[in-house]
Order: sequence, then structure tokens, then C-alpha cells
Amino acid sequence: MKVALDWLSDHVDLSGYSQPELDDLLTFSGIEVEGIGSMPEKVVVARIKSSEKHPDADKLSVCTVDDGTEEPRQIVCGAKNYQLGDNVPLALPGADLGGGFIIKKGKLRGVESHGMLCSAKELGGEDDSGLWILSPDCKPGTALAELFSATFDLEITPNRPDCLNHLGIARELAALAGGDLKSRPDYTNTTIAEQPATKEEIRISAAEHCQFYTARRIGGVKVTESPPWLKSKLESISLRPINNIVDITNYVLMEMGQPLHTFDAAKITGGIHVRKAGENETLLALDGVNYQLTAEDLVIADNTGPIAIAGIMGGEATGVTGDTTEILLESAYFAPAGIRRSGRRLGISSDSSYRFERGVDPAQVAGASELATSLILKLAGGQAEEHILTCGSPPPLTQEVEFNAEHCRGLLGCNITSAEMFPILEKFGINKLEETGSISKWKIPSYRGDLTRPADLYEEIVRVYGLDNIPSRQRSWFSEISDADVAHDFMTGIANRLTALGFYETRTIKLTSPARTADNVCTTSNEPIALKNPLNDDLAYLRSGLTGALLDVAERNIHQGIETLRLFEVGTVFSKNNEGEESQHLGFLVSGPEQASWQDPQPGSADLFTLKGIIEVISGTSPAFVRTTESSPAASLLTDIMLGKLCIGQAAQIAPARARAMDARHPVFAAEIDLALLQKKTSGNTQYEELPKFPAISRDVAMEVELSLSNGEIESVLSKIKSPLLESFRLFDLFHDDSGQRLDAGKKSIAYSLTYRDRTRTLESSEIDKAHAEILDELKAKLPVEFR
Amino acid sequence: MLEELEAIHADAISAIAEMADIDGLEAFRVSYLGRKGRLTVAAARMKDIPKEDKPAAGKALNEVRNAITAAIGEKGESLQIAIDAKAAENVDVTLPGRLMHPGARHPISQILDRAVATLRRMGFSLASGPEIETEWHCFDALNTPPEHPARNESDTFYFEDGRLLRTHTSTVQIRTMETSPPPVRIIAPGAAFRRDEIDSTHLSHFNQLEGLYVDEGVSLAELKGSLEYLLRSIFGEKTPVRFRPHFFPFTEPSFEIDIMLEARGKASKWIEIAGCGMVDPDVFNAVNKARGDNAYAPDKISGFAFGLGLERLAMILWGISDIRLLIENDIRFLRQFP
Repeated sequence: MKVALDWLSDHVDLSGYSQPELDDLLTFSGIEVEGIGSMPEKVVVARIKSSEKHPDADKLSVCTVDDGTEEPRQIVCGAKNYQLGDNVPLALPGADLGGGFIIKKGKLRGVESHGMLCSAKELGGEDDSGLWILSPDCKPGTALAELFSATFDLEITPNRPDCLNHLGIARELAALAGGDLKSRPDYTNTTIAEQPATKEEIRISAAEHCQFYTARRIGGVKVTESPPWLKSKLESISLRPINNIVDITNYVLMEMGQPLHTFDAAKITGGIHVRKAGENETLLALDGVNYQLTAEDLVIADNTGPIAIAGIMGGEATGVTGDTTEILLESAYFAPAGIRRSGRRLGISSDSSYRFERGVDPAQVAGASELATSLILKLAGGQAEEHILTCGSPPPLTQEVEFNAEHCRGLLGCNITSAEMFPILEKFGINKLEETGSISKWKIPSYRGDLTRPADLYEEIVRVYGLDNIPSRQRSWFSEISDADVAHDFMTGIANRLTALGFYETRTIKLTSPARTADNVCTTSNEPIALKNPLNDDLAYLRSGLTGALLDVAERNIHQGIETLRLFEVGTVFSKNNEGEESQHLGFLVSGPEQASWQDPQPGSADLFTLKGIIEVISGTSPAFVRTTESSPAASLLTDIMLGKLCIGQAAQIAPARARAMDARHPVFAAEIDLALLQKKTSGNTQYEELPKFPAISRDVAMEVELSLSNGEIESVLSKIKSPLLESFRLFDLFHDDSGQRLDAGKKSIAYSLTYRDRTRTLESSEIDKAHAEILDELKAKLPVEFR
Repeated sequence: MLEELEAIHADAISAIAEMADIDGLEAFRVSYLGRKGRLTVAAARMKDIPKEDKPAAGKALNEVRNAITAAIGEKGESLQIAIDAKAAENVDVTLPGRLMHPGARHPISQILDRAVATLRRMGFSLASGPEIETEWHCFDALNTPPEHPARNESDTFYFEDGRLLRTHTSTVQIRTMETSPPPVRIIAPGAAFRRDEIDSTHLSHFNQLEGLYVDEGVSLAELKGSLEYLLRSIFGEKTPVRFRPHFFPFTEPSFEIDIMLEARGKASKWIEIAGCGMVDPDVFNAVNKARGDNAYAPDKISGFAFGLGLERLAMILWGISDIRLLIENDIRFLRQFP
């Protein structure tokens, strides 16, 4: 919300404060200053004397203006919304319009321009539809800084609707600065005669949404332009003046926070009825939109139907126009919840609804009507009816609140005394009713509906006392390690291993599209969960796997010319059919060669066994890859990753067609592992094994076998052999010749190194030969192998 | 015989001294000590000498063989040392190091690790909670009014069953207090979702770090001391930290925390970095109701909570201008945070 310094100064003396000091004062009371606006220097009022088309540019014109000096000034201008004689802002050469934009004398398409005529937007306002047309009363040459006050752009938190107007901010500043309000206009204590309306005049049939409604009829008004002081006040906070009646209601709104509405009384048929809308009712509102109403919406209706959406926006048909002579001035209290609901459903946020939905002060409803009436009589003439017609009564929204000085001290953590605390409350207009020991009772002013509990009063103390005055204290404590700690450390350990192996960690978006789901080849059985209100189709589902996102990342990087892809991600994966819906997955993707270097200019490309090796490193064990029965069009090879009998995830080669679609020049491999399962299977303390004291001897065995005989089958036989001397074995060579020249193309040569050891003595060569021969016999007996 | 041995010895020693390379030395060894070598041939004649001369001749033969062997060994060693020295001399030390290609953690993980390490030092344990949440955990229990705009479908992602994607990690406060009695001292890093279009300053989900400390006698002094320590650990010991009163439904009083930072080439200014406050009594009341006890009686215990946006932290710390860089995972970007 914008507030003008001059306007605030109507109510509170701020002369002793610089702008930065005011900024601090507001900031530390909880009102964030988002910007300070003031008219730049060297911007003056100029009157347009002539305007001709630019000789070389259709969209430009060449104007001469009166800038208050003797000499006419020539300006080239692109706007069209002015007439000769209009007053507009002129930025003279040297004026700094912010953002490094400094006005210079120059030529535009060959014609000299000695400054720039400005729109409101160029001077910190909102409107950029054309030149800012200033009041005709301004004297050319007057600096705009003299005409328009400096402004503060404030962020008012939702609990403080009482600060959504100048009087509210002034009240706050006076309390914070320790001064008094200059004039304390008490809009709650009006002496104006109120008179309960008859049922025919005003009727409320939705009392939970509107407890108090007032209307005042003013006849014989003349709708015209507002006087300069009023226009300037509104313009200074970026409101566009419209006519005296509308401007007055806007003024009252910004002055004291009470939204008002004026109807053209001549266009209302019968009395006012505050009621819920009928299911098929519609209203053409002042913004030109025809709103479809429902029984949830509160409307102001006359005998013909709705004439306003209560508290949100008036109807076009009963709006004030230049021909209006008799008005009905509405001032009411509408309850926040209903306004919020209707505003949200209809998609309208007006200055009025913004305040009602946060809560206005019910006690000033009549006072606002009175202020507006007096201004209307002054500026538009006419006659007001003697009484304000009222229906219902202002609901009491505030009550007494207890204050426990002991609790407040405990909360602040310092020894602040009641003598220090109470004046703070009193400054805010909160008055002590009684005090017994450390407990006191306080009366809350009607505009502070946010103060309902002791904690709310403590907050008032804190924000004025300031955190600067509270000591900084640290308390240490031994904490139990939690499951989340263990899981975090486990994940961190794996992540660190992977980065040491050359992997980059990615963090991708968790929302995805059904099309992308097909890329989650390592989690094909996960059923994606759909959002009810997605932003768009591309972000309509929660990801059911990490692989799809990793493929996106791979593609992005491939398009940047990166061939070596070593990526991993740790994160939540969602599935409808999994217990608990959410699981933490580790996904990774490998593709392309190890990075080339001058020692190794052409390293080999990653393959499925790169993936497997990585999984061996991070799991500290050797999981088995077992082909799955599942399939996916995006995968040419899909395996379960088994630790014993437990499947901890899946590994895949991305289908070459899919890889080509992302312009990959190398095969792409991906795997996904359920971290909780891996953690469960691999944690626990490792036991130290005594180092062997006697040497090991190895013997190699090379076999010629059918291509179809897998390493797994051979290893399975080897691992089942009960030879007390055989310590371990490992594959060390695999050879296959497609051309059939060096080896039958249907066969492969496969070789293992077998390690023999006795942990109690050194073995004799003959013993090893015997054991080795037995193993070869066993292999030969169990498998179709030929030794080479 | 003895003279001959004498001559062989003398010849050998002088020849060895002349040797300039390892291969020549090996050839020499073969020519003297090999099967047909000069000394071997001479030794073969031992059988012809008279029996009484044999012990002396044998002794002399051994001495000569040992002397020659030793000399060859010594020479070999000195030749090898020269070769080694030459080899070392020939290394072009200006060649680039072997490329090791380590990867890197994502910058968000790095900043999270930094914060977690500090908070653990302060005695906080980690906690976690689901990302798909109930409206009760996300809003009701956190004292958010039923009509609060944050609950709008335009701001929050919902599911058909009425649940939602949590809009903040504060849900973990509730989850933790529901199951554990005070004292509670936890941090919960995790994703939070807002229904925002993705642009240079917004993501539809981002990472938060939530903290909660509830115990008897926890006051604003502890809040202030703890958060100053945390932020100075991340941004530097001398970083100015200030607390601005603010409003959050689930804390009272509430603050936003600013730190004074110097952006590259610009004057230092206050930058908003976190939100915090004393847990609102109504949050404790909601937790008690869910627990069915009065473990979190607002007149007996108190606590503070805080939340940091990790993306924001990373952007400020490293001067990252566009938040989308943090989800695009361009390796050229990730590489900059080794």
C-alpha cells in the first residue's frame, strides 16, 4: 500500500524525521517498507503550447511547451493523449528518472528535443497509458516535488488491517515515535443522528455476513471534477482522479480505511436488501464484467435484483455518472470470511474487498459516512437527509485481554519491568482496566481486532522494545540421533562416494507430465499420482521415478556438447501403489566415455558394467542384475538389482531409439535404487578379519564355452565348489570374435583366476595342483566347457 | 693358476671401471662369469692342478669371483642411479596434471550440509515428514484461518482426496510434536510446494530448512542467540544480523531476519534471509488436542521455530541471478561448485 508523507503529516508531526529514519521506524514496528518514492529533481510542470507531426517519424510529434521560463522549449514526444493547453510533467536535461536513466538534450530523428514529457509510470506511478495530465491549475515551471508528496510503499501484514490507511499508519508512527496525533479525528464518536431504517428502507437477511448497514441519501449533487487538493492527494498515491463523488469515497477509504459505495439513487427501485444472491442471478459490475452469482455471494439488491456485490464491487446500472444528482451513500460492515470467499470465487480483488476481507473497524462505519457526507456537501453541493439510516448494529470485535507480566518477561528472556511494558501498550491506545499482582486486564480499541490473546499483547511489547534490547543466549543440549539423522548420513556418504567417482548431483523438479512418466523405466510399476489443480499439463503429476528427469538433464547437457554424463539424484519418488506413497530413491545415469585427457585421449564409453561397478562401490557389496519380466518401450534392457533375495532397484539401458531422440552419441544407462532398502541391507558394523599370515597362490583357468553360457552360471558352479583351499575367484578375461577367425563365432573364451590359501600354513605346489585339478573336473562335470 | 686368477681379477676390475651402460655390463658379466666365461673356464681347470694346491687355488678362485661379482653389482648400481637421474631430468614438469574429473554435490545440497553441520553442533537432530500432507497438518494445526488465501487452489496444489502438497516444512513441527513430548530440538530440510509459475525468481517447489526448539523456558533470547550463530556460521562471523517484526500465523511474535551483505560491486544492504518466531500458543493447543494430552501446555513450555529458503540462501551466497539454474542441472553450472 502506498502512503503519502504529506497525508501522514496531516495527522502526525514527522518534521523531526528524515526519510531513512521513518523507514527504520516503520520497518522495526513490523511494517516493511518496500520502496520510497519521491519526485525526481528537475521535473517541472509544462504547458503544451503547440504540437506538430514529426517530419520524419509517424509516431512522434514535435511540441513546444511553456516551462515557466520566458523561452519556449521544444520537445519531441511519442504520446498522443494530450490536448493543447494541458499541463504535463517535463523532465529537464539532467533529471535522473532512476535506473540510470538520465535525461539529456538530444536529437530524435533529426529534430532537437530539450527534455522529455513523462507518463505517471516514468515518475514512479502506475499509469503508463500516456502522458500524465496534471491539473490545469498548476503553474508551469513548478517542481513536481512541490506538488506531490514523497510516498512510502508499505507491506502491511494480514493481521494489521487497521494500518491499511493513512490514519492507521499515522497512529502507529505516533505511538512508535512517542508523539501524539496532531489532530485525532475520532471517526468512531460521531454526533450525527442515526435512525434505524424501516424494513422497507433497509433489510438484512444474511446477518452473519453483514451485521451493520448504513445508507444516507444526498440530493441535488453536481458530479464534477475534484478540486486540486483532492486530486493531488489521490495522485500522490497513484490513484487516478475520476469525479468528485468517487474521489471522495476513495479519499475516505485511504484516510480511514472504511470502504464506501455510492449509488445513483434515482436508479434504485425500492429499498435496499442485503441478501444472498439467487442461484441464477448475474450482475454487470463497474469493471464491465457480467458476474454469475451463486447463493454463496452476498449482494446489495433493490426490488429489481442485485445492484452491488456486497463489499466487493458496485453494479454498472446504479453507478454514479456525470448526470447523477441524487446519491445513496453506503457504509457498512461486511464480515471477512464471506468477502474472501466471494472475491476468490469471482476473481475480484478491489481496494474495498481487500480491506473487508482483512477486517475493518465496525465502530467507524457511521463516522466514515459522516466524513464523506460533509465532503460531498462541500465539493458537490446538495442536501443530505437529516439522518443516517441504519440497519443492525456494529459488532463488538474486541474484548478485554489478560496480560501476565511474568509470562511476558519469560518470553522475552530478559528483566523488563511493568513500568517499561505498560506505556508501550498505552501508546497503542490499549488501556489498563485492572491489575492484580503480575496479571492485568486491558481494553482493546475497536480497530485492533488482531489483539485477542495475551501472546498478542506480548508481541506489541516485543516489537516496540525491539530485539536489539534482548540478550543473545545459547543453550546447548545433547540430542538423540534420529532415524532421519541416520538416513541423512547414509545418503551423504553415498553422495560423497559418487562425486568422488566423477558424478554430478542433480536436483530436478518433482512435478512431471504423463508423457514423461514413460521415461521412468526403472520404476515402471509405480503408479503416478495426479494433482487436482496442476499449473499446466507438463506439471500435472508427481514424479514416479527419477530416471525421466535424469534423461531430461542428460539431453540438456548433450545439447551443450557435453558427452561424458555421470549424473545422480537423491529424492522423493511418489507412487499410488507403494505403501506410504513416498520413498527416497537414488537414481543415476551414465553415458559416454570417461573424460579424455592427454594421457588417455580416447577412453572407452560407459556401459552396463560401468553402472554395475558404481552400484558395487556405493553398496559395498556385489548386487546381482537379473533380467526383469517387466518391459518398457524406453528401455532396451531392464534388470532387477538384487541383494540376496531382495530387489533394491532396477537398472536399464535406455532404448537406442529413445537415446537418439535426445541426440545421444553414446549408449545411455540408468539405475534407480530404493535408499531405505539399501540402507537396511548394508548398514551394521563391519567385523575386522585377521590379515592372512601365509601367502596365497593363484592358478588360472581359461575355458572355451558356448556364447550363451553366462558368467553367472559359471560363477554359481565355482561358488558352490567345496574346496577348503579355494579362497576366491575372479573373472579376468573374456574374448569373443564375431568374425570367427580367432575363435568360433558361436563361442567365447572366458578365464578366471582362482586364489588358493590355507590360513594356517604355506601350501605345497602339489597340494594346489591337486585342488585345482579337482575344481576343473567339477566344472567340466557340471558345465559344457572346454579348457584351453 | 694363481697368476692366471690374478690376471683375470685385474682385467675384470679395470674393464668394469670402463663400463658405460647396463647392457655392456651384463655382456661383460656373461663373458667372465657365464657358462663359457673366462673365470668359469679357468675354474674348470681346477681338476687338473695338484691336490695339495687345490685348497689355495679354490680359495683364490672364490675371492676373485666374489670380488668381480661385487664390482659388477656396484657398477650396476651406479649406472642405474645415473639412468634414474637422467629419467627424472627428462620429465616435463610443466605438463598438465592428470585429469581426475571429480563430480560435485548440487549447490543446494552443499548449502544444506553447511547449515545442517552447524545446527547439529548446536544440538539439533534431523526430522522428516511426508510431502503429501493433510490440510490439518499444513494449515489448521499451524493456526492458519479457514479462509486464509494460502489455502486457495490458486496457491496450493491439492489432490482429489483433499490432501495437498505441503506449502512449508513447518508441517514437520506438528508431525514431531504429535509423536514426541518436549523437549524437542529438530531441523527438517525438505521440499515445499507453491502453485507458482516457474520464472527467474519462482519455482513451483523449493527447499526449506525448518527448525524447532521447544522446552521449558525457551525465550526470544535463545531464538536470537541461536539464529545469529547459525547465520554467522554460514555467511561469516562478522555478518550483521537484524530481526524485523513480521507476521506468521504459527508464531507470535514473528520476525523476518535480514543480514547485511555486500552484493558484488554494490553497496552493502539488508537482505531478507529467514523467518522465525516464538511458537504460537494455538499451535501448542492444536498439538495437545491431537495428542490427547497436555504435554505442550502453553503456560508451561515455550519454543521458537524458524525457516530458511535454501534456494534463496544459495542465490545470495553465490550471486546466482536466476533461480531456474538450480533446477536445470547444466553441468557447466554445477561444475562451478566443486
